[in-house]
Formats: sequence, structure tokens, C-alpha cells
Amino acid sequence: MNETVISIEDVGLKFPKRRGLKDLFFGLFRNNKVHHQALKEINLSISKGEIVGVIGTNGCGKSTLLRVISGIYPPDSGTCKVRGNISLLAGLGTGFSAHQTGRENAILYGSILGYSEQKIIDKLPEIIDFSELGHFIDEPIRTYSAGMKARLGLAVASAIQPELLLIDEVLGVGDPAFRKKSTDRILEMVKQAGTVVIVSHSFGMMAEVCGRLILLDKGRIIAEGDPKDVIAAYHENSKKSKA
Amino acid sequence: MSSANLGNSLQVVGERSPSIWAPITSLSALSENSFLVRNLVRREVRGRYRNTILGYAWTVIEPTLLSVVYWFLFIMLAGNPDEYYAVWVLIGVIVWACFGKSLMASVTSLSGNTQMIHLVFFPRIIFPTTAVLANIVITAMSSLVIIPIILAYGFPFGIHLILVPIAIFLSGFMGMGLGIMFAPLNCIQKDVEHLFKFIVRAGFFVSPIMWTYEMAMERGVYGEMVLWNPMVAPITIARHGIMGKWPDLPVEWIVYSVLVTVGFWIIGNIVFDKFEREAVKHL
Repeated sequence: MNETVISIEDVGLKFPKRRGLKDLFFGLFRNNKVHHQALKEINLSISKGEIVGVIGTNGCGKSTLLRVISGIYPPDSGTCKVRGNISLLAGLGTGFSAHQTGRENAILYGSILGYSEQKIIDKLPEIIDFSELGHFIDEPIRTYSAGMKARLGLAVASAIQPELLLIDEVLGVGDPAFRKKSTDRILEMVKQAGTVVIVSHSFGMMAEVCGRLILLDKGRIIAEGDPKDVIAAYHENSKKSKA
Repeated sequence: MSSANLGNSLQVVGERSPSIWAPITSLSALSENSFLVRNLVRREVRGRYRNTILGYAWTVIEPTLLSVVYWFLFIMLAGNPDEYYAVWVLIGVIVWACFGKSLMASVTSLSGNTQMIHLVFFPRIIFPTTAVLANIVITAMSSLVIIPIILAYGFPFGIHLILVPIAIFLSGFMGMGLGIMFAPLNCIQKDVEHLFKFIVRAGFFVSPIMWTYEMAMERGVYGEMVLWNPMVAPITIARHGIMGKWPDLPVEWIVYSVLVTVGFWIIGNIVFDKFEREAVKHL
């Protein structure tokens, strides 16, 4: 069981800063600092079956790290290797089309997430059932409330069992009753998936589920290990930066 | 789910073959993701005329009204054109719109899909391709207007009509090839988009929309210069197809237009592939 499934070696990622014409012009003469270092010297190895949480203040690079693992951003330095198929759960319902029905959107969103046609057709009854949308499933999505959209998004996104699951702040969507159901569903997915990386601010849940936590600050890993210790380090660090 | 990381060994994320192979890799990416492509095209087509009473009828109404305006304008400026002039303008408007919309959709294909690019990963050539395919579908719907025209003017129905879809395809992919060359740049500076808006507007006048290939030929040497515009061939072959004849445009100019389209598409794919990864960081 000690097989490495995610191996990140010395990964760095820079984001360009937006420049106007003036900066562009002066940039030719001066060597301005025109990049924002989003990730720096990240070394991380995750074994099969691990549930790893990533915490940190807003803008510290948590989501960016998941995007690098899922291939959205190629790293500027270092390498990121993975084994198995990845699924990134972020922004449930990305790409929904307001003018198509819930059913059509379930198929559309499924295809955006990379399901095959056959798989979606097989999973569709289950998705519709889980979303609890009733007759609304055949209404255009523009008539849906935000919570209903989130429910449909989650129902589709959680219908797969990926080997490698990356979760970016999608826990607890919808009304309280559904929130419980959605959290349970994701936890169930977490259990079924081979390996999970979670980004979240719900420390209570993280401490419970994750075997290991990682604390990011300004794009670097500054603490890693037992959840309780890392959460303590987070509080200490945020106190320090306030002072 | 990211592409094909199904192997048993650790695989480097985002590793791809060199950009020079991009035309081939994008074709294979499109066929692997054909289900996704189909769904995205459907989304685009369905969304286009949302919340309208007339719905898809707009695909026909829009170019028809435009042609009426140009027809009046032309009669005022140039006197009496030939009897089919309104038809030629209509075809010109339809084919040019296909080019212009495909070009703009391709230029903005990355910058306009920021949210999706940030949250899911699939080969990004899918964005411009689906936008262009949706445009081709919509243009094909609007070209149905030629059926009543053919009946009204008594043109022959026949195999020559195949030239119309060919022209639409050619203009759509010419727009795409040119557009994707600049899509990464548009992520960095939105100026590109505005420049291309201007190009589409100005191109309208130097392409045979309000005039025809035949009119240009009557002008001697200036007329021949016009043939270097690769949009002359698609618009002209569509017109000739409707008249029920094979195009009497010199064949080398048709070949030229096809080569420009294929060339743009190949170069566009290479450029897009090479710069797209860095460019999306600007979004």
C-alpha cells in the first residue's frame, strides 16, 4: 500500500502580473519584478490510500496546487507526476447552460468532467435521484435556485469513482438538509477513492478525515504532518502575520 | 478526469508531444472527446437565440434584413444593379458572418472561457473548435433561406448546391485558423480582440459582399488584386452554386483559398498549442 500516486518535486509556478502600456515600455529597460510567485519549491509525495488536506490563508496557493496536479497549469519548474485518473471537484456546475434542462445539463456537465457517453447514460437515473429535483429535472436550469444548481452539480460530480480525487471547497452545498447529505456523499466518495487531496477551511472536518495536513503560506509548504499540529501551526502563523 | 493517465506508472502531468505535431494531436484529442465536443456545440447553438419568440428564425431574419439594407444602399449609390443583386448580397452576408463570427469566437476562445479553464482540464483546442462548429451549424440553418430564393427566381435545384456547405465550411475554418493564432495573445492583452473586431468590419468591404467577383473583374487590374483576398473564393462559389453552375472562378484561386484555410489551421494549431499553456496564467 505504499505506492506513490502523486509525486511533486520542487514545483514552482509564477503568475505574470498584468501590465499596462507604460509598464510594458519601461519594462524593456528595467528588470521589473513582473511575476507573482504562486508556488515555490513544493515537494510532496502522496501514497495510495492517503487522505491529505491542504490549508492556508486565502491566496496562499491551495487551489493553484490542485490545478497543477490536475494539469490546468503546467509548473514553471520541477515536475509533477501522478498515477491513475484524476478528478478535480471544484466550482460545481461549471459550464452549465442556463437554457437547457437539468437532464441535458447533467449530460453536458458529465461530459465536461470527462465521463464517457455510456457512463453518463448508466449513471443518469442515480444522478437524478440523488439531486432530489423531482419534476424540475426537465425544466431549464435558469429556473433553478443556486442551491438546486449546486445539488445537480454535486450529483453529477460525485457519480464517478476516480482513483485520485481532488476536492476544492465544495463541501456543504445547498440547504441544511442537503448539506448533510452532500457532505456525507463526498465523504463516501473520499472513502471509495483511492487517494484524496482536500482543500477546505472546515478544520473540524479536515482533522477528522485527513491523515495528514499540509500548511501553505505564500506558496511554500511551511508545515506538514499530523492534523492537530498543523492546525495549531496555522493559528500560530496567522497570529504572527497579523502582528 | 484528466486525459489518459491510466497507465500503471507515474506519469508527468501535462506532458505533451512537441507543438509541431499539434495539428495531429488536436485531431486525435477532438475525436477522443467527441462526446464532449457534441455537447458543447449543442450548448452553444441552444444558447444563441435564447429567450426569443422567433428563436432560430433569427438565423434567417438577421442576414435577410441586413441584405435589404445593403440592397437599398447600393441602389442609391450605384444605380440599378443586376436583378439578382439582393440574392448575392444575402449570400455574401451569410458566408462572411460565418467567417467573422468564427474568427471572433476563436480569438476569444480562451479569454471567454476563463471559468471553465480554471476549473476543469481538457484539451483546450476544444474551445475554439466547438465555437466554430456551432457557428457552422447556425450558418447552415440560416442558409436554408436560399430554398425559397431558388424557387422564386427559378434557379435549378441540383448537385451544385453542395458548393454552399463547402463555402460555409471553408469560411468557418479559415476564421478558426486565423483566430486561434491570436487566442493566446488575447489572454495577455485584450487589445487583440478589439483589433480583430476592426478587421472583421473592414474586411466586410474588401470582400465580395456588397460587390461580386464579376463586378470586380470589370474593373481590370484592381479587380485582380482583389482575388488575393482568400474570402473571394468561398463567397463566389456559394453564389455560383445557387445559380446552378460550377464556379467559373479560375481554379487556382479556389485552390489558393483552400490552401490558405488549411495553412492557417495548421499554423494556428501549432501556435495555439505552443503558447496556450503560458497564456492561460494571465486569465
